Amino acid sequence: MEEQKPRTKWEARIQQWKKSWEMYKENKIGLVGIGLLVFFFVFAVLGFVMPHIDPIYHPMTGFDPFIVSKSPPSITHLLGTDFWGRDIMSQLMSGAQIAFLIGLTAAVVAVAIGTTVGLVSGYYGGTTDTLLMRTVDIVLTLPFLPLIIVVSAAVGKQSIWVLVLIIALLSWGGISRVIRSQTLSLKQRPFVEAARVAGATDARIIFRHIGPNVLPLSFLYMSFLVLGAILTEAGVSYLGLGDPTRVSWGIMLQWCRTTGSTFTWYWMLPPGLCITLMTLSFYLIGRAVDEIVNPRLRKR
Amino acid sequence: MKILEVNNLRMYFSTKKGDVKAVEGVSLEIGKGESVGLVGESGCGKTSIGISILKLLPDNGRILEGEILFKGDDLVPKPEDEMRSVRWNGISMIFQAAMNALNPVYKVGDQIVEAIMLHEEVSKEEAYERVAQLYELVGMSPERAENYPHEYSGGMKQRAIIAMALACDPDMIIADEPTTALDVIVQDSIIKEIKKIQAKLDMTMLYISHDISVIAETCERIAVMYAGNVVEYSDSVTLFASPLHPYTNGLLSSFPSIKGPLKKLNPIPGEPPNLLNPPTGCRFHTRCPFAQRLCKEQVPEFREFQERHYAACHFAGELSLR
Amino acid sequence: MSMQKYIVKRIFQIFLTLIIIMTIMFILFRMMPGDPTAFMLDTRMTPEHKAIIRAQFGLDKPIWYQYLFYLRNFFRGNFGRSFYYARPVYDLVKEKLPATILLWTGAYIISYSLGITLGKIIAWRRGGKLEFGSTLFGLFFYCMPIFWVGLIALWIFSYKFGFFPLGGLKGPDVWSDPSSGMLLKAYDVLKHVTLPLSVLTLAFFAGSMLVMRTSMLETLREDYIMTARAKGLPEKTIRDRHAARNAMLPVVTTFAIAVAGSVGGGVLTETTFSYPGLGKMIVDATLTFDYPLAQASFLFIALLVLVANLVADILYAYLDPRIVY
Repeated sequence: MEEQKPRTKWEARIQQWKKSWEMYKENKIGLVGIGLLVFFFVFAVLGFVMPHIDPIYHPMTGFDPFIVSKSPPSITHLLGTDFWGRDIMSQLMSGAQIAFLIGLTAAVVAVAIGTTVGLVSGYYGGTTDTLLMRTVDIVLTLPFLPLIIVVSAAVGKQSIWVLVLIIALLSWGGISRVIRSQTLSLKQRPFVEAARVAGATDARIIFRHIGPNVLPLSFLYMSFLVLGAILTEAGVSYLGLGDPTRVSWGIMLQWCRTTGSTFTWYWMLPPGLCITLMTLSFYLIGRAVDEIVNPRLRKR
Repeated sequence: MKILEVNNLRMYFSTKKGDVKAVEGVSLEIGKGESVGLVGESGCGKTSIGISILKLLPDNGRILEGEILFKGDDLVPKPEDEMRSVRWNGISMIFQAAMNALNPVYKVGDQIVEAIMLHEEVSKEEAYERVAQLYELVGMSPERAENYPHEYSGGMKQRAIIAMALACDPDMIIADEPTTALDVIVQDSIIKEIKKIQAKLDMTMLYISHDISVIAETCERIAVMYAGNVVEYSDSVTLFASPLHPYTNGLLSSFPSIKGPLKKLNPIPGEPPNLLNPPTGCRFHTRCPFAQRLCKEQVPEFREFQERHYAACHFAGELSLR
Repeated sequence: MSMQKYIVKRIFQIFLTLIIIMTIMFILFRMMPGDPTAFMLDTRMTPEHKAIIRAQFGLDKPIWYQYLFYLRNFFRGNFGRSFYYARPVYDLVKEKLPATILLWTGAYIISYSLGITLGKIIAWRRGGKLEFGSTLFGLFFYCMPIFWVGLIALWIFSYKFGFFPLGGLKGPDVWSDPSSGMLLKAYDVLKHVTLPLSVLTLAFFAGSMLVMRTSMLETLREDYIMTARAKGLPEKTIRDRHAARNAMLPVVTTFAIAVAGSVGGGVLTETTFSYPGLGKMIVDATLTFDYPLAQASFLFIALLVLVANLVADILYAYLDPRIVY
């Protein structure tokens, strides 16, 4: 069947996406990644439903009136309860919500900053470029987690949004370097010259002409940033510096440790397993996208 | 005496889409001191023949059939460890310098010494002494052996690679596109260098190139390849004067001649076939102006028409070529 | 430019970066809501005591003066007094630094040597069971939160089987006994350090192995590998001398980029195993609002990262002749 000529720019883009999806479908590890992601998504959505079925499934306030301490898995509590008699399964669902929230928002903000910096740096060159890239050099040598720890000490308030902001502000460095080098080569292409001759402003050239071409790369890095953000939140919360008003996987492990229940397997194992599988899912998706974006990685 | 004799060689690459039939029933012989050019379009299997001779096939490549007699000794069944002593010592290769044929992290001289010390019982000093001589032979200052590849220009890299190929005094050299991707002036000086060394050392050589004018300049005999087959093989004078295969004819008329009268160039119409699924019968029949039904149905035999002039065409000698 | 000049230049850059990081710290702690001098003053102090400290650290002077004072104090090794321990921060850092260096550098060296070796082997033997197994293993460890791996290790090896102590670096019974010899003490430290070191090594190992594998696979497609094979070199020489030597370069680069992120693993591991190092100290200090101690711990961790970067740069320059300083 002959491919139809795209009539509009959008149709062309949709066709491009369809083609990419066709290629993605070939990739087994990529499909495993998507599968895991769908699982966690359903899991997270279930977390909103459960407390409405029975308030004892509320992750924060669902103290089971009949259970006052840790209890192993049972019919009412499939994965048992925590130190205060709350359902561990419901807390895991809440953790999935937090992981999505933190991972995606932090990654979107970081990708936006990184892509903009990379585009501007690559397009303008000169002093702007030098200044921005030196900044990146410094950002990349800052010890990530320790900095988040001291910053959270300085800020004092332990809020999930502060954490998202700090993670985003510290993780745009790598992506901006990649986008910059891509911009440098795109800048030499005829279509940029054509746009300039046609009288397009710098901003228009950067965001309308070069921008769409670097988006696949940004998207690729986003999946790795999501992964990093989820792990970072887990670590910070585990250390006791997270947002205590929300139940995340890291907070669960922190409670588990501080109540001296480290060796209670039904409490300690599930949150860590969830973190592992969710980061794995984003890693696998990232690798699969990588193979589409960087053709040299494709299997011959 | 024949240094190399290839008989009915068949070599395939297995890929996800099926077997790429890169070399199909190729026969060639090269006598001592002869330089043979192997010419054809890119992707016709020239390089595959080169790497088959030394059995340097990638993981997905395999020899299905045929003999590769090197000084009368068949290389095809030889195990890896025996092949290793044939490599470089018996047959060495000149690679394309534009490719990264030299390891970037070692001094060029050391890379040559590595080959010498591997195959010969010599001391380090003697090996370095040999490198200095080789550098002079290829027209470079011996001190340059102390440099790293990135400190060389393209032409110098090519000279160093030639020096490396000569290091163990091999019986035969396979030169795979040694001047491709060099600029014309450098290309010319490298060709002169190769010719000079060839004459001086009475070198046996298989020279692989897509450029028939380069081959014509360096080689006494020419083998023309098309889609995995050698279609014609003879001495260069005969080949140019009276080709037997229509593809050779097409190839000759698509290159300008510097010395002869100005003629219109006639490129061969059509595309080279996909070797995953090559045409039946004569692989050239899809583009041949003289093709008959026979050509589609039957594979032509590679026959000797005149003394050491071979061709694979049903109608060789009957067509009015040139 | 010679190597020495390059190193001097890099050390100068490190110095500059350190000042920038200190400036960020300074601004950060000034931005804090409430009393702008609270970061130096413990709420538990008496007003008279506060006034003394204020004067001692120039907190009654204008902000630019305070900034310069802060820098000067740092380079003189005067980081103030810890609120929690009521001891000079300098002494505390000096105490914890060796333990951290032992654990972190140990883990980096072991994991990268193992990762490079295994990555090299599995890439060379493309598509074996070993490759599938180690890639899967590496993938999981790459994605696992390190503190969770630590908890599991504690659960299995210390709690269930009792092979190793539950935490710390020195067993009190051994170190308080005057009759314990050097050998016994060394054995005691080894027993304590094994588990955290193994966990941290595992965490770093996965990344280095995966990078080495990819890099090796790319290197094996290079033309000089074909040259090496054509020369008739034995397989092992081709793999080690020609392929691995080149494939290592991206691993060194990745190390330099990754080290700033991976020290977080060190902090988490130290906390999990109650290992008395800088990483545990920064967490404890933050949780007890011990600002001077938290700041100083951070600056020293940052310094360690910068030094690791310098080492990686020098190593790279040594390994790759193409590098122009």
